[in-house]
Amino acid sequence: MVAETLTRLRYRYVPDHLVGEVLGRRWMDNVIPVFLLVAVIAFLTGSIPNFLAAGNLADTSRQIGEFGLVVIGMTVVMLAGGIDLSVGSNFALANITALALINVAKWSVTASVAATLGVAGLVGLMNGLLIGYLRLRAFLTTLVTLTLIRAIVTFLLQQYQVQIASSDVDSEAWDFIGTGSVAGVPLSFAVLLVTAIAGHVILTRLRVGWRIMAVGGSRRSAYNAGIPVRRTVCLSYVVSGLLTGLAGTLYAARLSGAGPDTGLGLELAVVTAAVLGGNSVGGGRGSIGKAIVGAVIVSLLTNGVVRLGLQNGASAMVVGIVLLLAIAIDVRWNKWRGKLQAKVYVSPAYLALPPVPPIDSRSSSPYAMNDRLHDVEIIGLGEIDGPEDVILDEDDNLYCSVRQGDIIRFLAPDHKRREVYAHVGGRPLGMAFDKDGGLVVCIAGMGLYRVDSSRGIQKMTAETNRSRFSIIDDSRMRLADDLDIAADGKVYFSEATIRYGFEEWVVDSVEGRGNGRIIRYDPATGTTRTVLRHLLFANGICMAHDNRSLLFAETWGCRVSRYWLEGPKKGATEIVIANLPGYPDNINRGSRGAYWVALAGTRTPTYDLAMTMPAFRRRMARRVAGDEWMFPNVNTGCVVRFDESGRILESLWDLKGRNHPAITSMREHRGHLYLGGVTNNRIGRIGIPDADPEWTGPASYWGDRR
Amino acid sequence: MKKRIFTALAAALTLSGMVGHAVAAGIDDPRRDDYYKTFTGKTVAFVPVAMGIDLTEGWASVLKQQADALGMKFEVRDPHFSADAGAQVITSLISEKPDVLIVHNPDVNSYAKLLKRAEEAGIHVIQVNMRSNYNSDVYVGADWIAIGEAETQAVVDKCGAGTSGKVAILEGVPTSGSDSGMRKGAEHILNKHPEIKLVSDQGADWDAAKAHTIVSTVIQQNPDLCGVVGFWDVMDLGAAAAIKDSGKQIVLVTSGGGEQMACDNVEKGVFQEEIEYNVMQQGRDLADMVAMVLEDGQPAGKQKVVIYSPQTRLTKDTLHQGACWSAKSLPK
Amino acid sequence: MFERISRASISQEKIVLLIAVLLFCVFSVSLKGFVSSGNLLTLLRSVSTLGILGIGMAFLVLGRGIDLAIVAIYSASAGWTLHLANGGVSIWLAMVLGYLLALTAGVLSGVLVAYVEIPALFATLGMAAFVFGFVRYALVPLYVVYMPASGASIAWIGGGFVFGVPVPILFFALIAVLGFLFLRFTKPGRFIYAIGDNFAAARISGAPVRPIIILQYAISATIAYLAGIITATAVSAMDTDVANSSMIYDIILVVVLGGIGLSGGRGGIRNVIVGTLLIGILLNGMTIMDIEYTLQNVIRSLILLIAIVIDSIINPRDEQIAQQGDI
Repeated sequence: MVAETLTRLRYRYVPDHLVGEVLGRRWMDNVIPVFLLVAVIAFLTGSIPNFLAAGNLADTSRQIGEFGLVVIGMTVVMLAGGIDLSVGSNFALANITALALINVAKWSVTASVAATLGVAGLVGLMNGLLIGYLRLRAFLTTLVTLTLIRAIVTFLLQQYQVQIASSDVDSEAWDFIGTGSVAGVPLSFAVLLVTAIAGHVILTRLRVGWRIMAVGGSRRSAYNAGIPVRRTVCLSYVVSGLLTGLAGTLYAARLSGAGPDTGLGLELAVVTAAVLGGNSVGGGRGSIGKAIVGAVIVSLLTNGVVRLGLQNGASAMVVGIVLLLAIAIDVRWNKWRGKLQAKVYVSPAYLALPPVPPIDSRSSSPYAMNDRLHDVEIIGLGEIDGPEDVILDEDDNLYCSVRQGDIIRFLAPDHKRREVYAHVGGRPLGMAFDKDGGLVVCIAGMGLYRVDSSRGIQKMTAETNRSRFSIIDDSRMRLADDLDIAADGKVYFSEATIRYGFEEWVVDSVEGRGNGRIIRYDPATGTTRTVLRHLLFANGICMAHDNRSLLFAETWGCRVSRYWLEGPKKGATEIVIANLPGYPDNINRGSRGAYWVALAGTRTPTYDLAMTMPAFRRRMARRVAGDEWMFPNVNTGCVVRFDESGRILESLWDLKGRNHPAITSMREHRGHLYLGGVTNNRIGRIGIPDADPEWTGPASYWGDRR
Repeated sequence: MKKRIFTALAAALTLSGMVGHAVAAGIDDPRRDDYYKTFTGKTVAFVPVAMGIDLTEGWASVLKQQADALGMKFEVRDPHFSADAGAQVITSLISEKPDVLIVHNPDVNSYAKLLKRAEEAGIHVIQVNMRSNYNSDVYVGADWIAIGEAETQAVVDKCGAGTSGKVAILEGVPTSGSDSGMRKGAEHILNKHPEIKLVSDQGADWDAAKAHTIVSTVIQQNPDLCGVVGFWDVMDLGAAAAIKDSGKQIVLVTSGGGEQMACDNVEKGVFQEEIEYNVMQQGRDLADMVAMVLEDGQPAGKQKVVIYSPQTRLTKDTLHQGACWSAKSLPK
Repeated sequence: MFERISRASISQEKIVLLIAVLLFCVFSVSLKGFVSSGNLLTLLRSVSTLGILGIGMAFLVLGRGIDLAIVAIYSASAGWTLHLANGGVSIWLAMVLGYLLALTAGVLSGVLVAYVEIPALFATLGMAAFVFGFVRYALVPLYVVYMPASGASIAWIGGGFVFGVPVPILFFALIAVLGFLFLRFTKPGRFIYAIGDNFAAARISGAPVRPIIILQYAISATIAYLAGIITATAVSAMDTDVANSSMIYDIILVVVLGGIGLSGGRGGIRNVIVGTLLIGILLNGMTIMDIEYTLQNVIRSLILLIAIVIDSIINPRDEQIAQQGDI
């Protein structure tokens, strides 16, 4: 008993699930680069006296500023799926252009800087036109422009370098660009900061940035989605050219020297920095922040080895070793992280269920198995795939939500004819009619949508308030499951779990943790709030007949609870049915003040026992292939009718398991019960003898409008 | 000024180990303690264009011996042919404040502002062999204009009447302190000899492979080329190989630090002549100047001392044992 | 239909070959002395080292890899050989040791790519810095190493003639033939294509992908060493700092220009030869035209640019079939 309490407490308070969630976050990409950055800084601080002295830092940051600008340019190109090898030559071109204009042609500083940026931007534009519009290969093309621009620089050097060297420019503005500071921050570093912030905002918040990311992520999809791929690619090279030109100008002002070594091999250092920071070659993964981290690492390292006094190749050797080590660790880390995350993401918790009520057919239990579903009438056999929920409108038409992302409608009166009522996409699950006859649908992977009576589809909500300290982003809706609509028009809907998508919903059962929640959407204000958290797979939702409370089912908790919306108990939750013999799914109203709940499967003693042994389930999740895991029985279930107080009135089973073994939803309509199942290929219809033959759902909610 | 030169001479003599021999009887030298005290704990920093070339290795070797003998700290920061890295190194040295900073400039501009800042910060700056546009306390190195004149003269002598008179100049980096001077010297001579035709004047970035490409191109374009004026022996080996490939008799005159390689190649006839500035001697000049600026006690930036190293013509006729020094036999 | 035929028949290789032939004809007519046997040999000789290194690189690129360390290996191993010989080691032993150095570096690159799974671009970039740095730090104290007197016995490698043909050209031809036979007729050669075409498929079908990757790097290191010895004996010196020059780009260019796609699996030794010839004809023609060296570089790059633009106009890439991550 003590041991069990300890287990319960241990799994209640030790947040195992966070490990997998942390490993899955995108910012985990940055762990190795940031660690490396810290290591490099720590090492250099330890071995170079005054490394962190203010003056020294200022000078170092000046160089980082220039280098970082080029790295940002390269990152933008890489994010768009390309590579720009011409930056080294372009840098040298900008340098000599600026110096030639200022020192030799005696242009004003403003004109010279503008012209230099123009020249460098033109080189970028040339790359962009060739790669973006003429569809040349980025690597080869920029390799050729690298040699071309380098040749031009060498040519210009021959013409102008002596003149540049022999003249001196006396301009305060030029000196400011080279050696000035803004509020104590060296100019080039300040420029870098501004560029980085602007770049981050553009890439993450503006349309053009999203386009760049989209093109790099999947060029083909971007093209098919109508994004101007060519223009976007071209633009990325222009950005790279301009930033390189800016860096070259800053360099020119700082050193005023034009030599053959300017920018030589810069492209490799820049690509290295971008990759070390965590940007991937070929697009898809990366950010400005990563670029900056990479740029700082590489420039500190290359300067550090010189300042350490390493000579005769030792510096190159150290840089080579660090580069190899860093990338090796990064590669292994990302591989290991993926594997580890796959292993530890499933993190079972302790769950003790109350004893199972008897279901034996010979017992007097209200759950006693019977064969009442034997005589169901079959609708749409083989024509539909997985009608998770079914619903009928006031004109007796039958709707169901199927796997293909459609809402299928079977037309009254005989439900023989079928049409696609609406294609909503995603995996539509629970449905409900609102006051105006619109069909509100929970769509797994998308959120809450509404199909109005003219079949127009509107998104109602796809985002709720993010809970504080949550590691995975729980503001988005992964698995909106079932909903109901209160008399005041507010929509209450359940999200089964925040940790898994629809295709993995059953894995959530292995966890047995309260990952589900209930969310309220208010169409009047357009606001979305989470009202209840930590539910054991929140599933069916149904407004009570008096609209003062709502009933909800927790599948793995095998219980139905009531949440008070008004009255003295407002905001309180109380259990209505504590120990169902199976796993409850949707709940819906029935006639004569009753409710229906579908049990998708029946409990088994082994699985109930396993739920009290989280360590066992964790071992299973880590060591056994997913196909071999022990899952709850979701093969045989039933439909249960209960009253307002939670008393079980009757249950309907399909003992032979021929037509409706697993049921996830049912609707009572004019004396009949319509049955849906998430894995079925049909809808069942069966008469309920003691039901009110006139009762319909829409009328129960919104009154009889006919 | 006189006094300063005297001090310098005294320092030089001291270094050469002459003190002690001059006085036979045991009379104490009152300046001795002060002398050693001046140097103990001082720091000399050296920023070459790159280590691993005969010149810089030679200088560093001599300077290291001096520093070891006098209890000074000698540091080499190798920017490896990168002006940017070099600038960064000098910037950090300015805040580290060594007592003497010896700089080998890649070109006349890149470090000029920084060297001025270094002297303003109280660091004595000695520029070696390749100067910058800023004149610091001391320049030790070759008289490039004279070398340029001598080299060009040697080629002109061989390419007079009876030849095509076509001459090529092979520079390293035209904006470097050495090449700008040699180019000037070459102009002096060429202006006096209108019969000589300059067919090519290009920079090979001190890279033998580039020199090879350039010279073989020039030879193809001017099959009757008579002579090449090369600006650095290490680089000019590439030019020599190009000449050898062409199978032609072309005069190649070069200049360099007089490492054994130079003597070998002059002997083999690969170089017709090398104008040599002795690196070991330059090293000692550097050491003397380090001693001078430290003993003198004047603040940095006050002096303007120039020491041109004497140049020697190495030809087959003037070669002799010990004319060159060997990088291999430098003390480690 | 017509379009499909034209696409299949005019590849980048053919375009480059066409341009090369065109230039050759133009130069033959307009330039005096261009077609003389002496000049043609000069032409070939001037690009033979580049071509040899190009073949070494092609072995990697065909397998969807790249070797940025090839120049570092080329200069460092040959440089160490000369240094050892200078120190009194017999020239043959020096050559064996130098080759072992090259081979070790190549195998190390291969291990980093195949087993540590570092992308080839960065593994070899790091190796280039490491090899150069290590050799300069521990083995060769000076940048430039000169040929010792004992080297006379191998001077023929870079400087000799056989029936009037410079030996480097013969080496180029020999390596091209061997490379062609290896790639076409041996199992590892076919595996290289398979790996370049579809790495995952090759692996699943049971090709020993990791050993093959190591083999590729070993081959490229071997070829690099040979090229290094040719250069060293031709110039009587080796400048180890060439590892930091832009020579690597010239090599990649020769390979890719001839039509070997960086995405691997396409092309062969022939493409390298075509690319090398274009560069050689261009350089030689411009030299005879008396164009200055620096301007030659500008013109050469421009013509290369035109060549790849023509290719992309004739063989436009399609958004729908472009491979993701193929840069």
